[in-house]
Amino acid sequence: MFAEIFSILFQFADVFAFLVLAAAGLAIIFGMMGIINLAHGEFITCGIYVTVAGVQQGLPLPVAQALGALTAGIIGVILERTVIHRLYNRPLDSILATWGISLIVTQGMLVTLGSSWAGIGTPEGSFQVGEYTFSSYRLVLFAAAVLVMLALYLLFMRTRYGVLARATMQNPQMARALGVRTPWIYATSFGVGAALAGLCGALYAPTMTLIPTMGITFIVEAFVTVVVGGANVLIGTVPAAMVLGAIRTALNAWQGQIIGQIGMLIAVILVIRVLPEGVSGWLLRRNR
Amino acid sequence: MRDRLQALNGPQTLGNGRAFWISFAVVLAGALIYPAWADPYDVGNSAYFLIWIFMALGLSLMWGYTGILSFGQTAFFGIAGYGYGVIAINIGASGGLTFVALLCAVSLAAVSAAVLGYFMIYGRVGGVFFGIVTFATTLALAAFLHQTAGPEWAIGKARLNGFNGMGGMSPLELPWFGGPIYLEDTALYYFVLLLLLAVYLGLRLLVNGRFGNVLVAIREDPLRAELLGYDVRKFQLAAFVIGSALAGLSGVLYTAWGQFITPASMGLPAAAMPIIWVAFSGRSDLTATLVGTFTLLLAFQTITIYSQQYALILMGAVLLATVLFMPTGLMVEIGRLIRRLHARATAGPAP
Amino acid sequence: MTAILEARGLHKRFGGLAAVADVDLAIEDGEIHCLIGPNGAGKSTLFKLLLGTYDPSAGRVMFQGVDVTRQKPFERVLHGMSIKMQVPSVFRDLPVSQNLVIALQRRLPRTGIEAEMRRLLALLELEEQAGKPAGELSHGQQQWLEIGMALALQPRLLLLDEPTAGMSTDETFRTGELIQRLNASGMTILVVEHDMAFIRQIAQRVTVLHLGRVFAQDSIDRIIADPRVAEIYLGKTDVD
Repeated sequence: MFAEIFSILFQFADVFAFLVLAAAGLAIIFGMMGIINLAHGEFITCGIYVTVAGVQQGLPLPVAQALGALTAGIIGVILERTVIHRLYNRPLDSILATWGISLIVTQGMLVTLGSSWAGIGTPEGSFQVGEYTFSSYRLVLFAAAVLVMLALYLLFMRTRYGVLARATMQNPQMARALGVRTPWIYATSFGVGAALAGLCGALYAPTMTLIPTMGITFIVEAFVTVVVGGANVLIGTVPAAMVLGAIRTALNAWQGQIIGQIGMLIAVILVIRVLPEGVSGWLLRRNR
Repeated sequence: MRDRLQALNGPQTLGNGRAFWISFAVVLAGALIYPAWADPYDVGNSAYFLIWIFMALGLSLMWGYTGILSFGQTAFFGIAGYGYGVIAINIGASGGLTFVALLCAVSLAAVSAAVLGYFMIYGRVGGVFFGIVTFATTLALAAFLHQTAGPEWAIGKARLNGFNGMGGMSPLELPWFGGPIYLEDTALYYFVLLLLLAVYLGLRLLVNGRFGNVLVAIREDPLRAELLGYDVRKFQLAAFVIGSALAGLSGVLYTAWGQFITPASMGLPAAAMPIIWVAFSGRSDLTATLVGTFTLLLAFQTITIYSQQYALILMGAVLLATVLFMPTGLMVEIGRLIRRLHARATAGPAP
Repeated sequence: MTAILEARGLHKRFGGLAAVADVDLAIEDGEIHCLIGPNGAGKSTLFKLLLGTYDPSAGRVMFQGVDVTRQKPFERVLHGMSIKMQVPSVFRDLPVSQNLVIALQRRLPRTGIEAEMRRLLALLELEEQAGKPAGELSHGQQQWLEIGMALALQPRLLLLDEPTAGMSTDETFRTGELIQRLNASGMTILVVEHDMAFIRQIAQRVTVLHLGRVFAQDSIDRIIADPRVAEIYLGKTDVD
């Protein structure tokens, strides 16, 4: 009995971690700038490839993963400085720009890197509860998701950057008038968002087969989590991931992965009929 | 009659004057006699380009005129395409039944859009989220169809066939005296051309009439439109359904053209294409969308022969460049330029 | 006289803050009624409750004897209300003439629109700007255009939220004259305003809102004479 319950919890934690990690970077960029970064999948892919390349060059996995996140972050800052910052008064256009970039990058990678690479394999290690065997790495992923949310909380609530970023998020004109260098905040936030996307890729890199279009595996989940969570990553993403994770786990167990995904999407469409600004918009409205 | 024709013109279209309609007639005449001297294979390819324009016109109506941007019009393209396949395979095509299949499939797309649109528009999901949810929808549909390879995934006689796609449906067939006309190559070209003519003129009537006035009012300021007594959400939903039905029409014609449809037509990068055509052309004008979409498709196809990846990179670059340097769209800018030059020519030299 | 628009026990809370509390208000058929009050008195919130962009936390709104509390703004408009917002909201990229056509086309057949549009353009003194995008008009002209669009609906009741904001003294005065002319032709008008000179020009009855509640309601002369009203305008809030 305990083993069954643990197994269900384990699967839930797995889905939850996936949703949180896939969505965090997207949610930060959306919350700060109102932009949905359609190149999100490519940042994830970037994290994956850098990690795999690093391991193949002989780096230890965690170092390669950190490198993957860092690379994605740096590319994010460059992208923000060269393209995105020109489009802040036109949010829909900036989304289209990220879509254009996404196309260029995916197809460019197909041209330069070929259609598939050898993966690096999931780190060994498993443990047993009752009759079930579980992969330890999945627990690492769950812990990483929790740590990422904790780190974001500390970053936004306890650091100088966080204070300035929250001020900019609430009222950019006022923040500017008070001397906040908002362009710097935007560039940094875009970088943090991209780095988190890269980290997501880096963490899942050992579990996947590598193809340049693999970013797509993550983006549907990332999008729906952000849609349900709303604009505030700190209070929206976790509840959204929990709700969607629960639906997904139940449907997966009942009918399999693909019904899980479609069921989750239908749930999202139903949720936004009631909460058009997502969970965080609803929470903020209630407490206003 | 004159009044009727006049209703085609109005503030919502760039080309309204005599000069425009004369050029329109010349282009139409050219398109009509084109099969007379061209190779039937090329004529079939031209039909293929025309097929996509319906989806682009629909997106222009939604995005350019009403201000609702869907990133997932390919969902309705695919729903109608698969719908056509399932119906055509199951009931066959004799005696004009393919037209029943066409109508049913387009209606299926329209109904799906109505359901999805109801939840979003009546839930007041706007702007960015509308794009994201439609996008997620088309990707999820593609992912779903991707894994329907097994024999248990069949509707009647029609196997869905997973990522290999569904094939073997009959082409459109026009019942005629002395045997049906199969709409392939030249016959299909004429059919699509006339359909496009009808849809284009119909949309012009629509946008330059009362309905179109309300749509642009909603694009400009939804609250003001509501305070003039218009049920904004009903109009938005109507525009979304019409636009999606047109995407569905493209889907049916595409499936009938190649007797084939795959999940890739709903996934990435396919979903980006309508956005790129319409953004590049200029979403705020139907004619610009028509001309620009045709041009891009032609360019894309020409490059695809050498490398599909490079063609897609070019499309990405076109989107990026449009957004950065010409957000109103190249064809609309050209249209405005022609209008200015024309006005200057008729008014004499500027003082 | 009978009330054309009535608010009964209207409440609107945002979180813990009551922006509008227990407001009873009756606009009589055929009058010009002004709603005044210092900043933060709840005028805008009350206005939005009346036109339906906000749902009240409690209370009811009756229009021509019908409960419209749950109705959307467009439904209230269809019943004979018409609204001009505080910030001029016109269709900025569309020509002035098309702005008016959009307002007129629901009520009139195609043949009648053109003549009525010309009449309104003359009334608004915007004939020469008819072909210009509305966004290129001056601020005052945009206000007039929006009033014109509200009039195009031929409402029973016209709601105006600070119609003279951003207008010159001359424009303000002419707006006042227009409002009086409309009222003389039988239209009921509710105006939310700051400008006391303007209110003196047009008002018949005045409701003073203070801290979300109805503070006083009387004829314009008595309101002006009321020392308590003067005091809340001078910022002393500790009045009994």
